[in-house]
Amino acid sequence: MPPQITRLVYLTLAIVAVYFLARGFLVPASFGQYGWYRGNALKEIAALPIRYAGRAACAECHEEAAERLAKGSHQGLSCEACHGPGAAHAEDPAEAAPKPENSRFCLRCHEFNLSRPAKFPQVEADDHFPDQKCAECHAPHSPMQAPEDASKRNAKPVKK
Amino acid sequence: MPPELRESLLEALQHVQGYIYPNDVSLGWSVVIVVYPYITGLVAGAFILASLVRVFHVKALEPTYRLSLLTALAFLIVAPLPLLVHLGHPERCYEVMMTPHATSPMAIFGFVYAWYLMAVLLLELWFDYRRSFVEWAKASAGFKRLLYRVLTLGVEDVSPAAIQLDEKLGRFITVIGIPSAFLLHGYVGFIFGSVKANPWWGTVLMPIIFIFSAMVSGIALLMFLYLVISRLRRVPVDMGCLRAIGTFLLSALVLDAAVETLDWIHRLYEAEESLEVLVLLASGKLFFSFFLVQVLLGTIAPLAMLGATQVFKERISLRLQKSLYLVSSLLILIGVFAMRWNVVIGGQLFSKSLRGFTTYKIALVGQEGLLMAVVLMILPFLLLIGLVKFFDPWNTRETPPATT
Ligand code: HEC
Ligand code: HEC
Ligand code: HEC
Ligand code: HEC
Repeated sequence: MPPQITRLVYLTLAIVAVYFLARGFLVPASFGQYGWYRGNALKEIAALPIRYAGRAACAECHEEAAERLAKGSHQGLSCEACHGPGAAHAEDPAEAAPKPENSRFCLRCHEFNLSRPAKFPQVEADDHFPDQKCAECHAPHSPMQAPEDASKRNAKPVKK
Repeated sequence: MPPELRESLLEALQHVQGYIYPNDVSLGWSVVIVVYPYITGLVAGAFILASLVRVFHVKALEPTYRLSLLTALAFLIVAPLPLLVHLGHPERCYEVMMTPHATSPMAIFGFVYAWYLMAVLLLELWFDYRRSFVEWAKASAGFKRLLYRVLTLGVEDVSPAAIQLDEKLGRFITVIGIPSAFLLHGYVGFIFGSVKANPWWGTVLMPIIFIFSAMVSGIALLMFLYLVISRLRRVPVDMGCLRAIGTFLLSALVLDAAVETLDWIHRLYEAEESLEVLVLLASGKLFFSFFLVQVLLGTIAPLAMLGATQVFKERISLRLQKSLYLVSSLLILIGVFAMRWNVVIGGQLFSKSLRGFTTYKIALVGQEGLLMAVVLMILPFLLLIGLVKFFDPWNTRETPPATT
């Protein structure tokens, strides 16, 4: 055998061996158990740390906020829909409390969008007091009321 | 109707025409997916030009043989990048190779690609360059010496018998390589052609159209590179070589134009229910990129120019011939890009309802923006400069290429 061929055969064998070796390490253990996916996929997801506590958990300690929320038009929302995941704080209140991160995050749900049901309350962000934070006029937990905090209250109180 | 509703409706109506399904409004495959078949086509075309020397003994093309192979390599290395950019999560790309699904053409691409890169292109380059590697290793020092020595894979025999064997094996590889090049690019056409829900794509002619347009674009690229590089190196252009490339380019272009025309004749005569929307598409949304760029500038104009260089060979000056070749190669490169655009973007502009159109607005920045496409198109040329520096395609003497 000429050396060109033997060298290339060795090289090819080495590459193929590396491929199968890599497969040995990189193919997830439960792959193909039931089908073309990881058999453990559900278990792996179930084992992820829990990040949301749920509205009932928040309400245990924050009765006032929960009651207020339950009376206003945001009654259908979960606390963490606005506040963000709070399981760590619910477990141990000394942990930083989840706070809505952006002053205009309300637009995530209320920005005018053709695909939303027409009855859903929506505003054009550019026309609806673009220079102010939403919470200056709407109390987040009861959005048709003005915030109690007078310093936040703006010249334009909300009706009702 | 509330004024806001009216306004948003008007805005949406500017964006779409006719009756369109909601999931047809925005395009899933953007400009980077236009770049992808364009680049693989250039690879296949450049390789086929090289194989003309090896297998069909077209001596006149020898000055571009190694350049063609290096060009194919540079573009092949970049070819998967548009896919990685488009899919995101490049850190997961190995997974498709680890657990490939045999019935998924997209999953098999990894193997088609690996086969073409390792079993065809690198092997052919190795057999051709091995002797040069041995000689360059002897004549250089330091890192370059090490590089060339490693690349010989330890086979340092340069006796006439060994060189002859290299030649023979190289030819053998090329013979395998031609169908492989067809496979690589025919496969890209297959992915589009097998989408039976999309009448613009789903035709059995698609792989063939892709292969011919690949040959056209690859040969045009080599013609362009050869002219530009000769100018940069300040060496005279080998007119025999240029004419030979021109002849092949003309033949490939004629074949390509014929197949694509055949496709249209077939569609027009079949007149399926999708025809109406396709004609509207070609004459409306794609008027500029299809009729003007692809057909007129990218096919008819170069056909006329290349034809002129054949017919009036004796009567027009060499200078004019060179300019005609340069301009027609550029036009063809642009035209084939337009063809990829028309296939990829055009196929997503009309709704599956066959009753309406959407618009594609190309982003400037971002993962799938214009800038990204430009970077992806420049990258193979930068790679090629590096490859040409280290593996000087014209230097078959014993001095290693000067890379400073
Ligand atoms: C175990 C009782 C407990 C639970 C359950 C709990 N919290 Fe708290 N939370 C507290 C206490 C105590 C404080 C006051 C901590 C402080 O002021 O340092 C607090 C503070 C906060 C604050 C900050 C108030 C401020 O004025 O800065 C927010 C916001 C908050 N909690 C939201 C939540 C949300 C949302 C949940 C549900 C995911 C939740 N909490 C669950 C006990 C709890
Ligand atoms: C519509 C979004 C939204 C929902 C739903 C919501 N919050 Fe809030 N919450 C806010 C915002 C915004 C603030 C900050 C108000 C400010 O900065 O004036 C806040 C402030 C708070 C505070 C700080 C003290 C206060 O009253 O200002 C607590 C405690 C709190 N929320 C608890 C809760 C709990 C418990 C729930 C669920 C029962 C809940 N929130 C549901 C948006 C929301
Ligand atoms: C998670 C989505 C969500 C977020 C975030 C949210 N809202 Fe709401 N909002 C709702 C829903 C749901 C309603 C009730 C709609 C209905 O009554 O059909 C509502 C109702 C309202 C209303 C009452 C409209 C009316 O006519 O009764 C106002 C005002 C309002 N939200 C303001 C805000 C403000 C201000 C914020 C930010 C602090 C905010 N919303 C954040 C979902 C959201
Ligand atoms: C300057 C005070 C002010 C600010 C700031 C403000 N709003 Fe309002 N908002 C109002 C008033 C007043 C109304 C009642 C208007 C009416 O009923 O015609 C209202 C009504 C609404 C409604 C109900 C619309 C409807 O059709 O029922 C929503 C939703 C709303 N605002 C959301 C927001 C959001 C989100 C922000 C922040 C981006 C915001 N607002 C900021 C004063 C304000």
